Amino acid sequence: MTKKPWVWVDHACCVGNAMCVATAPGVFVHNAARQSEVIDPDGDRFEKILEAAANCPTGAIHVVDPQTGEQLFPKAY
Amino acid sequence: MTIADLDDLFDSDVNADPHAYFGRLRETEPVHWNERFKLWVVTGYEEVVWLLRHHEYFSSAVIKTTTEPPYPPVNPEDVSLFDTVRQFRAEQLVEKDRPEHLEMRQVVHAYFTPTGMQRWRPFVRNAVTELLDEIAPRGRMNALTDFAAALPVRVIAQMMGVPFEDREYLRELADKILWANRGEPYRLQPLTAGMQGLIDYCTPLVEQRQAHGTDDFISVLVGGEKTGVFTRYQVLVNTALLLFAGHETTMNLICNGLLAFIRHPDQWDRLRADPDGLARLATEECMRYDPPVKSTQRVAAQDVELGGKTIRKGERVRWIMASANRDPTVFEEPDRFDIGRQPNPHLSFGSGIHYCLGATLARVEGQEVFRGLAERFSRFTLDTDELEYQPSLQFRSLKSLPVSWKGES
Repeated sequence: MTKKPWVWVDHACCVGNAMCVATAPGVFVHNAARQSEVIDPDGDRFEKILEAAANCPTGAIHVVDPQTGEQLFPKAY
Repeated sequence: MTIADLDDLFDSDVNADPHAYFGRLRETEPVHWNERFKLWVVTGYEEVVWLLRHHEYFSSAVIKTTTEPPYPPVNPEDVSLFDTVRQFRAEQLVEKDRPEHLEMRQVVHAYFTPTGMQRWRPFVRNAVTELLDEIAPRGRMNALTDFAAALPVRVIAQMMGVPFEDREYLRELADKILWANRGEPYRLQPLTAGMQGLIDYCTPLVEQRQAHGTDDFISVLVGGEKTGVFTRYQVLVNTALLLFAGHETTMNLICNGLLAFIRHPDQWDRLRADPDGLARLATEECMRYDPPVKSTQRVAAQDVELGGKTIRKGERVRWIMASANRDPTVFEEPDRFDIGRQPNPHLSFGSGIHYCLGATLARVEGQEVFRGLAERFSRFTLDTDELEYQPSLQFRSLKSLPVSWKGES
Protein backbone atom coordinates (compact mmCIF):
# COMPACT_ATOMS: atom_id res chain seq x y z
CA MET A 1 0.00 0.00 0.00
CA THR A 2 1.31 3.43 -0.91
CA LYS A 3 1.52 5.75 2.06
CA LYS A 4 -0.53 8.92 1.67
CA PRO A 5 1.74 11.97 1.36
CA TRP A 6 1.78 14.20 4.45
CA VAL A 7 1.38 17.41 2.47
CA TRP A 8 -0.83 17.71 -0.60
CA VAL A 9 -3.11 20.21 -2.37
CA ASP A 10 -6.80 19.52 -2.97
CA HIS A 11 -7.43 20.69 -6.53
CA ALA A 12 -11.17 20.81 -5.99
CA CYS A 13 -10.53 23.71 -3.59
CA CYS A 14 -7.35 25.40 -4.87
CA VAL A 15 -8.14 28.73 -6.55
CA GLY A 16 -4.56 29.55 -7.50
CA ASN A 17 -4.21 32.37 -4.99
CA ALA A 18 -0.48 31.56 -4.96
CA MET A 19 0.21 32.68 -1.41
CA CYS A 20 1.71 29.23 -0.72
CA VAL A 21 4.06 29.63 -3.69
CA ALA A 22 5.23 32.92 -2.19
CA THR A 23 5.50 31.51 1.35
CA ALA A 24 7.21 28.18 0.65
CA PRO A 25 8.54 28.28 -2.92
CA GLY A 26 10.66 25.19 -2.40
CA VAL A 27 7.56 23.10 -1.69
CA PHE A 28 4.74 24.55 -3.80
CA VAL A 29 4.73 25.41 -7.51
CA HIS A 30 1.97 26.33 -9.91
CA ASN A 31 1.05 23.80 -12.59
CA ALA A 32 -0.24 24.57 -16.09
CA ALA A 33 -3.79 25.16 -14.74
CA ARG A 34 -2.30 27.63 -12.25
CA GLN A 35 -3.14 25.49 -9.27
CA SER A 36 -0.60 24.64 -6.58
CA GLU A 37 1.26 21.37 -6.50
CA VAL A 38 3.75 19.96 -4.07
CA ILE A 39 7.05 19.68 -5.91
CA ASP A 40 9.17 18.73 -2.87
CA PRO A 41 7.76 18.20 0.64
CA ASP A 42 11.22 18.83 2.09
CA GLY A 43 11.87 21.93 0.01
CA ASP A 44 11.31 24.35 2.90
CA ARG A 45 11.24 24.32 6.68
CA PHE A 46 8.22 22.56 8.25
CA GLU A 47 7.10 25.88 9.81
CA LYS A 48 6.88 27.42 6.35
CA ILE A 49 4.60 24.62 5.17
CA LEU A 50 2.38 25.14 8.22
CA GLU A 51 2.30 28.87 7.53
CA ALA A 52 1.33 28.25 3.90
CA ALA A 53 -1.44 25.85 4.97
CA ALA A 54 -2.76 28.21 7.65
CA ASN A 55 -2.80 31.10 5.18
CA CYS A 56 -4.48 29.26 2.29
CA PRO A 57 -7.68 31.25 1.65
CA THR A 58 -9.66 28.13 0.74
CA GLY A 59 -8.07 25.56 3.05
CA ALA A 60 -6.85 23.56 0.05
CA ILE A 61 -3.51 22.53 1.58
CA HIS A 62 -3.65 19.33 3.59
CA VAL A 63 -0.95 18.70 6.14
CA VAL A 64 -0.66 15.60 8.33
CA ASP A 65 1.80 15.38 11.19
CA PRO A 66 4.44 13.01 9.75
CA GLN A 67 5.05 11.45 13.18
CA THR A 68 1.57 11.07 14.67
CA GLY A 69 -0.62 11.03 11.55
CA GLU A 70 -2.80 13.77 13.05
CA GLN A 71 -4.40 16.10 10.48
CA LEU A 72 -3.05 19.61 11.11
CA PHE A 73 -4.67 21.39 8.13
CA PRO A 74 -7.26 22.19 7.01
CA LYS A 75 -8.77 22.63 10.43
CA ALA A 76 -12.25 21.34 11.05
CA TYR A 77 -14.80 23.91 12.19
CA MET B 1 -36.68 38.75 -22.82
CA THR B 2 -35.59 40.25 -26.11
CA ILE B 3 -32.95 42.89 -26.32
CA ALA B 4 -32.77 44.86 -29.53
CA ASP B 5 -29.11 45.70 -29.18
CA LEU B 6 -27.01 42.90 -27.69
CA ASP B 7 -24.28 45.41 -26.84
CA ASP B 8 -26.49 47.60 -24.67
CA LEU B 9 -24.98 46.54 -21.35
CA PHE B 10 -26.83 49.23 -19.41
CA ASP B 11 -30.31 48.41 -20.77
CA SER B 12 -32.80 48.33 -17.91
CA ASP B 13 -33.82 44.77 -18.86
CA VAL B 14 -30.20 43.66 -18.54
CA ASN B 15 -29.98 45.25 -15.13
CA ALA B 16 -33.22 43.62 -14.04
CA ASP B 17 -32.27 40.15 -15.32
CA PRO B 18 -28.53 39.86 -16.00
CA HIS B 19 -28.70 36.07 -16.08
CA ALA B 20 -30.80 35.94 -19.25
CA TYR B 21 -28.71 38.50 -21.11
CA PHE B 22 -25.25 37.23 -20.16
CA GLY B 23 -26.43 33.64 -20.53
CA ARG B 24 -27.28 34.37 -24.14
CA LEU B 25 -23.83 35.84 -24.70
CA ARG B 26 -22.20 32.81 -23.05
CA GLU B 27 -24.06 30.44 -25.36
CA THR B 28 -23.21 32.34 -28.53
CA GLU B 29 -19.83 33.98 -27.91
CA PRO B 30 -18.20 33.49 -24.50
CA VAL B 31 -15.53 36.08 -25.32
CA HIS B 32 -17.34 38.98 -26.99
CA TRP B 33 -16.19 42.42 -28.17
CA ASN B 34 -18.79 44.99 -27.14
CA GLU B 35 -18.50 47.59 -29.88
CA ARG B 36 -20.74 50.13 -28.24
CA PHE B 37 -18.77 50.41 -24.98
CA LYS B 38 -15.42 49.27 -26.45
CA LEU B 39 -14.70 46.45 -24.07
CA TRP B 40 -14.47 42.66 -24.00
CA VAL B 41 -17.18 40.72 -22.18
CA VAL B 42 -16.13 37.26 -20.94
CA THR B 43 -19.00 35.00 -19.87
CA GLY B 44 -17.77 31.35 -20.07
CA TYR B 45 -16.56 29.59 -16.92
CA GLU B 46 -13.38 28.18 -18.41
CA GLU B 47 -12.45 31.51 -20.01
CA VAL B 48 -13.07 33.46 -16.80
CA VAL B 49 -10.91 31.09 -14.75
CA TRP B 50 -8.08 31.27 -17.30
CA LEU B 51 -8.24 35.04 -17.31
CA LEU B 52 -8.17 35.29 -13.52
CA ARG B 53 -5.28 32.88 -13.12
CA HIS B 54 -3.15 34.73 -15.72
CA HIS B 55 -2.71 38.03 -13.93
CA GLU B 56 0.41 38.77 -15.97
CA TYR B 57 -1.82 39.21 -19.03
CA PHE B 58 -4.71 40.92 -17.29
CA SER B 59 -3.85 43.87 -15.08
CA SER B 60 -6.06 44.94 -12.18
CA ALA B 61 -4.83 48.55 -12.37
CA VAL B 62 -7.88 49.53 -14.39
CA ILE B 63 -8.34 52.96 -12.85
CA LYS B 64 -4.73 53.98 -13.46
CA THR B 65 -4.60 52.76 -17.04
CA THR B 66 -7.98 53.73 -18.43
CA THR B 67 -9.55 57.16 -18.72
CA GLU B 68 -13.22 56.28 -19.08
CA PRO B 69 -15.61 58.94 -17.76
CA PRO B 70 -18.02 57.90 -14.98
CA TYR B 71 -21.04 55.93 -16.18
CA PRO B 72 -23.96 56.56 -15.74
CA PRO B 73 -22.89 60.22 -16.32
CA VAL B 74 -22.49 62.67 -13.43
CA ASN B 75 -23.31 66.38 -13.18
CA PRO B 76 -20.78 68.43 -15.22
CA GLU B 77 -19.78 70.50 -12.16
CA ASP B 78 -18.88 67.26 -10.33
CA VAL B 79 -16.52 65.88 -12.98
CA SER B 80 -13.43 67.06 -11.04
CA LEU B 81 -14.61 65.03 -8.02
CA PHE B 82 -14.14 61.95 -10.17
CA ASP B 83 -10.37 62.54 -10.09
CA THR B 84 -10.50 62.44 -6.29
CA VAL B 85 -12.37 59.13 -6.48
CA ARG B 86 -9.85 57.75 -8.98
CA GLN B 87 -6.88 58.77 -6.85
CA PHE B 88 -8.49 57.21 -3.78
CA ARG B 89 -9.39 53.93 -5.46
CA ALA B 90 -6.12 53.54 -7.36
CA GLU B 91 -4.28 52.95 -4.06
CA GLN B 92 -6.57 50.14 -2.93
CA LEU B 93 -5.33 46.57 -2.93
CA VAL B 94 -7.86 45.45 -5.55
CA GLU B 95 -6.30 47.82 -8.11
CA LYS B 96 -2.71 46.64 -7.59
CA ASP B 97 -0.58 44.29 -9.70
CA ARG B 98 2.41 42.24 -8.73
CA PRO B 99 4.94 42.75 -7.26
CA GLU B 100 3.28 45.53 -5.21
CA HIS B 101 0.08 43.53 -4.78
CA LEU B 102 1.88 40.55 -3.25
CA GLU B 103 3.74 42.72 -0.72
CA MET B 104 0.53 44.46 0.32
CA ARG B 105 -1.52 41.29 0.43
CA GLN B 106 1.08 39.52 2.57
CA VAL B 107 0.54 42.20 5.22
CA VAL B 108 -3.23 41.67 5.50
CA HIS B 109 -3.62 38.07 4.34
CA ALA B 110 -3.27 36.18 7.62
CA TYR B 111 -5.97 38.31 9.27
CA PHE B 112 -8.57 37.03 6.79
CA THR B 113 -7.74 33.35 6.39
CA PRO B 114 -10.17 30.59 7.40
CA THR B 115 -8.10 30.06 10.54
CA GLY B 116 -8.06 33.77 11.34
CA MET B 117 -11.75 34.37 10.68
CA GLN B 118 -13.28 31.61 12.78
CA ARG B 119 -12.76 33.67 15.90
CA TRP B 120 -15.34 36.09 14.46
CA ARG B 121 -18.14 33.54 14.27
CA PRO B 122 -19.39 34.05 17.85
CA PHE B 123 -19.44 37.82 17.34
CA VAL B 124 -21.34 37.49 14.05
CA ARG B 125 -23.82 35.02 15.55
CA ASN B 126 -24.46 37.32 18.46
CA ALA B 127 -24.92 40.35 16.19
CA VAL B 128 -27.45 38.42 14.06
CA THR B 129 -29.40 37.42 17.18
CA GLU B 130 -29.40 40.99 18.54
CA LEU B 131 -30.63 42.46 15.27
CA LEU B 132 -33.35 39.83 14.84
CA ASP B 133 -34.50 40.21 18.47
CA GLU B 134 -35.07 43.85 17.71
CA ILE B 135 -36.77 43.32 14.33
CA ALA B 136 -38.86 40.19 14.90
CA PRO B 137 -41.76 41.75 16.91
CA ARG B 138 -42.42 44.26 14.12
CA GLY B 139 -43.71 41.62 11.72
CA ARG B 140 -42.14 43.37 8.75
CA MET B 141 -38.87 44.94 7.66
CA ASN B 142 -36.99 46.41 4.79
CA ALA B 143 -34.46 43.58 4.79
CA LEU B 144 -31.93 45.80 3.04
CA THR B 145 -31.71 48.72 5.44
CA ASP B 146 -33.02 47.19 8.68
CA PHE B 147 -30.97 44.03 8.62
CA ALA B 148 -28.60 43.43 5.69
CA ALA B 149 -26.88 46.83 5.85
CA ALA B 150 -26.69 46.90 9.63
CA LEU B 151 -24.93 43.58 10.20
CA PRO B 152 -21.72 44.08 8.19
CA VAL B 153 -21.15 47.58 9.57
CA ARG B 154 -21.31 46.18 13.11
CA VAL B 155 -18.80 43.50 12.22
CA ILE B 156 -16.44 45.87 10.41
CA ALA B 157 -16.65 48.49 13.18
CA GLN B 158 -15.51 45.81 15.61
CA MET B 159 -12.69 44.75 13.27
CA MET B 160 -11.55 48.34 12.94
CA GLY B 161 -11.59 48.76 16.69
CA VAL B 162 -14.06 51.66 16.52
CA PRO B 163 -15.36 52.75 19.95
CA PHE B 164 -18.97 51.73 20.61
CA GLU B 165 -20.27 55.31 20.77
CA ASP B 166 -18.89 56.03 17.27
CA ARG B 167 -20.77 53.22 15.57
CA GLU B 168 -23.69 55.33 14.37
CA TYR B 169 -21.26 57.82 12.86
CA LEU B 170 -19.37 55.02 11.11
CA ARG B 171 -22.68 53.74 9.72
CA GLU B 172 -23.37 57.23 8.33
CA LEU B 173 -19.98 57.28 6.63
CA ALA B 174 -20.46 53.73 5.33
CA ASP B 175 -23.84 54.75 3.85
CA LYS B 176 -22.14 57.62 2.03
CA ILE B 177 -19.48 55.29 0.61
CA LEU B 178 -22.31 53.15 -0.81
CA TRP B 179 -23.05 56.00 -3.24
CA ALA B 180 -20.12 54.62 -5.27
CA ASN B 181 -22.58 52.10 -6.65
CA ARG B 182 -25.54 54.40 -7.39
CA GLY B 183 -26.68 55.95 -10.64
CA GLU B 184 -27.83 59.43 -9.58
CA PRO B 185 -25.91 62.22 -11.38
CA TYR B 186 -25.09 63.96 -8.08
CA ARG B 187 -23.71 60.79 -6.45
CA LEU B 188 -20.08 61.96 -6.34
CA GLN B 189 -21.02 64.63 -3.76
CA PRO B 190 -22.09 62.24 -0.96
CA LEU B 191 -19.45 59.70 -2.04
CA THR B 192 -16.49 62.08 -1.79
CA ALA B 193 -17.89 63.53 1.45
CA GLY B 194 -17.93 59.98 2.83
CA MET B 195 -14.38 59.31 1.62
CA GLN B 196 -13.06 62.50 3.21
CA GLY B 197 -15.08 61.88 6.37
CA LEU B 198 -13.55 58.43 6.65
CA ILE B 199 -10.02 59.77 6.19
CA ASP B 200 -10.67 62.43 8.84
CA TYR B 201 -12.21 59.89 11.21
CA CYS B 202 -9.54 57.21 10.74
CA THR B 203 -6.44 59.43 10.86
CA PRO B 204 -6.39 59.72 14.69
CA LEU B 205 -7.19 55.98 14.98
CA VAL B 206 -4.13 55.24 12.84
CA GLU B 207 -1.99 57.58 14.92
CA GLN B 208 -3.11 55.86 18.12
CA ARG B 209 -2.12 52.49 16.67
CA GLN B 210 1.23 53.86 15.60
CA ALA B 211 1.88 54.49 19.29
CA HIS B 212 0.12 51.41 20.71
CA GLY B 213 -0.70 48.52 18.36
CA THR B 214 -3.74 46.34 19.09
CA ASP B 215 -5.09 43.24 17.35
CA ASP B 216 -7.52 45.12 15.12
CA PHE B 217 -7.40 45.49 11.34
CA ILE B 218 -6.11 49.07 11.36
CA SER B 219 -3.15 47.88 13.46
CA VAL B 220 -2.43 45.26 10.80
CA LEU B 221 -2.28 47.98 8.14
CA VAL B 222 -0.21 50.21 10.42
CA GLY B 223 2.24 47.30 10.74
CA GLY B 224 2.53 47.46 6.96
CA GLU B 225 3.23 51.18 7.17
CA LYS B 226 5.99 50.57 9.70
CA THR B 227 7.73 48.13 7.34
CA GLY B 228 7.37 50.54 4.43
CA VAL B 229 4.86 48.45 2.40
CA PHE B 230 1.93 50.86 2.91
CA THR B 231 2.04 54.65 2.85
CA ARG B 232 -0.17 56.52 5.34
CA TYR B 233 -2.58 57.35 2.51
CA GLN B 234 -2.71 53.68 1.51
CA VAL B 235 -3.48 52.68 5.11
CA LEU B 236 -6.44 55.08 5.07
CA VAL B 237 -7.86 54.18 1.66
CA ASN B 238 -7.55 50.46 2.37
CA THR B 239 -9.43 50.89 5.64
CA ALA B 240 -12.13 52.49 3.50
CA LEU B 241 -11.91 49.52 1.13
CA LEU B 242 -12.63 47.15 4.00
CA LEU B 243 -15.66 49.21 4.93
CA PHE B 244 -17.05 49.40 1.40
CA ALA B 245 -16.12 45.94 0.11
CA GLY B 246 -17.42 44.24 3.23
CA HIS B 247 -20.63 46.29 3.34
CA GLU B 248 -22.15 46.39 -0.15
CA THR B 249 -21.28 42.76 -0.94
CA THR B 250 -22.60 41.32 2.32
CA MET B 251 -25.82 43.33 1.95
CA ASN B 252 -26.28 41.82 -1.49
CA LEU B 253 -25.51 38.29 -0.32
CA ILE B 254 -28.17 38.57 2.38
CA CYS B 255 -30.83 40.25 0.21
CA ASN B 256 -30.30 38.24 -2.98
CA GLY B 257 -30.17 35.05 -0.92
CA LEU B 258 -33.32 35.90 1.03
CA LEU B 259 -35.12 36.75 -2.22
CA ALA B 260 -34.06 33.42 -3.74
CA PHE B 261 -35.49 31.63 -0.69
CA ILE B 262 -38.76 33.58 -0.94
CA ARG B 263 -39.06 32.57 -4.59
CA HIS B 264 -38.17 28.94 -3.81
CA PRO B 265 -40.21 28.02 -0.72
CA ASP B 266 -39.28 24.35 -1.08
CA GLN B 267 -35.62 25.28 -0.52
CA TRP B 268 -36.58 27.43 2.46
CA ASP B 269 -38.43 24.47 4.00
CA ARG B 270 -35.39 22.32 3.32
CA LEU B 271 -33.11 24.76 5.15
CA ARG B 272 -35.58 25.05 8.03
CA ALA B 273 -35.52 21.28 8.48
CA ASP B 274 -31.76 21.39 9.14
CA PRO B 275 -30.42 24.97 9.51
CA ASP B 276 -27.18 23.95 11.19
CA GLY B 277 -26.38 21.22 8.72
CA LEU B 278 -27.32 23.08 5.54
CA ALA B 279 -26.26 26.68 6.24
CA ARG B 280 -22.81 26.18 4.74
CA LEU B 281 -23.90 24.70 1.41
CA ALA B 282 -26.91 27.03 1.23
CA THR B 283 -24.65 30.06 1.53
CA GLU B 284 -22.48 28.78 -1.34
CA GLU B 285 -25.59 28.31 -3.49
CA CYS B 286 -26.82 31.82 -2.70
CA MET B 287 -23.37 33.08 -3.74
CA ARG B 288 -23.59 31.15 -7.01
CA TYR B 289 -27.21 31.67 -7.96
CA ASP B 290 -27.43 35.46 -7.70
CA PRO B 291 -23.97 36.72 -6.76
CA PRO B 292 -23.39 40.00 -4.84
CA VAL B 293 -20.93 41.07 -7.52
CA LYS B 294 -22.01 40.42 -11.11
CA SER B 295 -18.78 41.39 -12.82
CA THR B 296 -15.42 43.09 -12.47
CA GLN B 297 -12.83 44.52 -14.84
CA ARG B 298 -9.29 43.94 -15.96
CA VAL B 299 -7.19 45.61 -18.64
CA ALA B 300 -4.96 43.64 -20.99
CA ALA B 301 -1.29 44.13 -20.04
CA GLN B 302 -0.15 42.62 -23.36
CA ASP B 303 -1.70 41.06 -26.45
CA VAL B 304 -3.30 37.76 -25.50
CA GLU B 305 -5.50 35.03 -27.02
CA LEU B 306 -8.66 34.08 -25.11
CA GLY B 307 -11.46 31.90 -26.40
CA GLY B 308 -10.16 32.17 -29.96
CA LYS B 309 -10.11 35.99 -29.87
CA THR B 310 -7.12 38.29 -29.79
CA ILE B 311 -7.29 40.85 -27.00
CA ARG B 312 -4.95 43.79 -27.57
CA LYS B 313 -2.84 45.45 -24.92
CA GLY B 314 -4.75 48.27 -23.23
CA GLU B 315 -8.23 46.92 -24.02
CA ARG B 316 -10.68 46.59 -21.15
CA VAL B 317 -12.01 43.16 -20.24
CA ARG B 318 -15.14 42.66 -18.12
CA TRP B 319 -15.61 39.18 -16.70
CA ILE B 320 -19.07 38.13 -15.61
CA MET B 321 -19.08 35.78 -12.65
CA ALA B 322 -22.90 35.80 -12.64
CA SER B 323 -22.76 34.12 -16.05
CA ALA B 324 -19.82 31.77 -15.38
CA ASN B 325 -21.76 30.55 -12.33
CA ARG B 326 -24.52 29.34 -14.65
CA ASP B 327 -22.29 27.64 -17.19
CA PRO B 328 -23.87 24.23 -17.90
CA THR B 329 -20.45 22.69 -18.67
CA VAL B 330 -19.67 23.02 -14.94
CA PHE B 331 -23.03 23.15 -13.14
CA GLU B 332 -25.83 20.66 -13.67
CA GLU B 333 -29.18 22.40 -14.17
CA PRO B 334 -27.45 25.74 -13.56
CA ASP B 335 -30.66 27.80 -13.41
CA ARG B 336 -32.01 25.72 -10.53
CA PHE B 337 -31.60 27.06 -6.97
CA ASP B 338 -30.47 23.96 -5.08
CA ILE B 339 -29.11 24.56 -1.58
CA GLY B 340 -27.62 21.08 -1.40
CA ARG B 341 -25.47 21.59 -4.50
CA GLN B 342 -22.07 19.99 -4.12
CA PRO B 343 -19.47 20.54 -5.43
CA ASN B 344 -20.18 24.20 -6.04
CA PRO B 345 -17.08 25.81 -7.54
CA HIS B 346 -18.75 29.19 -8.16
CA LEU B 347 -16.60 32.18 -9.08
CA SER B 348 -18.36 34.74 -6.92
CA PHE B 349 -15.18 35.34 -4.92
CA GLY B 350 -13.09 35.39 -8.09
CA SER B 351 -10.00 33.23 -8.46
CA GLY B 352 -6.23 33.62 -8.64
CA ILE B 353 -4.12 36.19 -6.81
CA HIS B 354 -7.03 38.59 -6.24
CA TYR B 355 -9.34 35.93 -4.77
CA CYS B 356 -11.61 37.82 -2.37
CA LEU B 357 -9.70 38.63 0.80
CA GLY B 358 -12.95 38.70 2.77
CA ALA B 359 -14.34 35.42 1.40
CA THR B 360 -14.22 33.59 4.72
CA LEU B 361 -15.82 36.49 6.58
CA ALA B 362 -18.58 36.66 3.95
CA ARG B 363 -19.13 32.93 4.33
CA VAL B 364 -19.34 33.15 8.12
CA GLU B 365 -21.81 36.06 7.85
CA GLY B 366 -23.96 34.29 5.23
CA GLN B 367 -24.02 31.05 7.21
CA GLU B 368 -24.99 32.77 10.45
CA VAL B 369 -27.65 34.91 8.74
CA PHE B 370 -29.41 32.11 6.85
CA ARG B 371 -29.18 29.78 9.85
CA GLY B 372 -30.51 32.50 12.17
CA LEU B 373 -33.39 33.41 9.85
CA ALA B 374 -34.37 29.77 9.23
CA GLU B 375 -34.43 29.00 12.94
CA ARG B 376 -36.92 31.79 13.67
CA PHE B 377 -39.16 32.47 10.69
CA SER B 378 -41.40 29.90 9.04
CA ARG B 379 -42.22 31.98 5.96
CA PHE B 380 -41.36 35.37 4.51
CA THR B 381 -43.75 37.23 2.19
CA LEU B 382 -42.51 39.72 -0.34
CA ASP B 383 -44.39 43.00 0.22
CA THR B 384 -43.91 44.46 -3.25
CA ASP B 385 -44.50 43.47 -6.87
CA GLU B 386 -41.76 45.69 -8.19
CA LEU B 387 -38.21 45.01 -7.19
CA GLU B 388 -35.60 47.41 -8.48
CA TYR B 389 -31.84 47.10 -8.69
CA GLN B 390 -29.17 49.80 -8.58
CA PRO B 391 -28.03 50.62 -12.14
CA SER B 392 -24.66 48.92 -11.87
CA LEU B 393 -22.65 46.57 -14.05
CA GLN B 394 -20.59 45.51 -11.09
CA PHE B 395 -22.98 44.97 -8.19
CA ARG B 396 -26.27 43.07 -7.96
CA SER B 397 -27.83 45.44 -5.46
CA LEU B 398 -31.53 45.65 -4.68
CA LYS B 399 -32.76 49.15 -3.91
CA SER B 400 -35.13 47.82 -1.28
CA LEU B 401 -36.46 44.46 -0.04
CA PRO B 402 -39.67 44.83 1.97
CA VAL B 403 -40.76 41.55 3.56
CA SER B 404 -43.18 40.47 6.27
CA TRP B 405 -43.88 37.38 8.38
CA LYS B 406 -46.50 36.07 10.77
CA GLY B 407 -45.02 35.44 14.20
CA GLU B 408 -41.93 33.44 14.97
CA SER B 409 -41.73 29.69 15.07
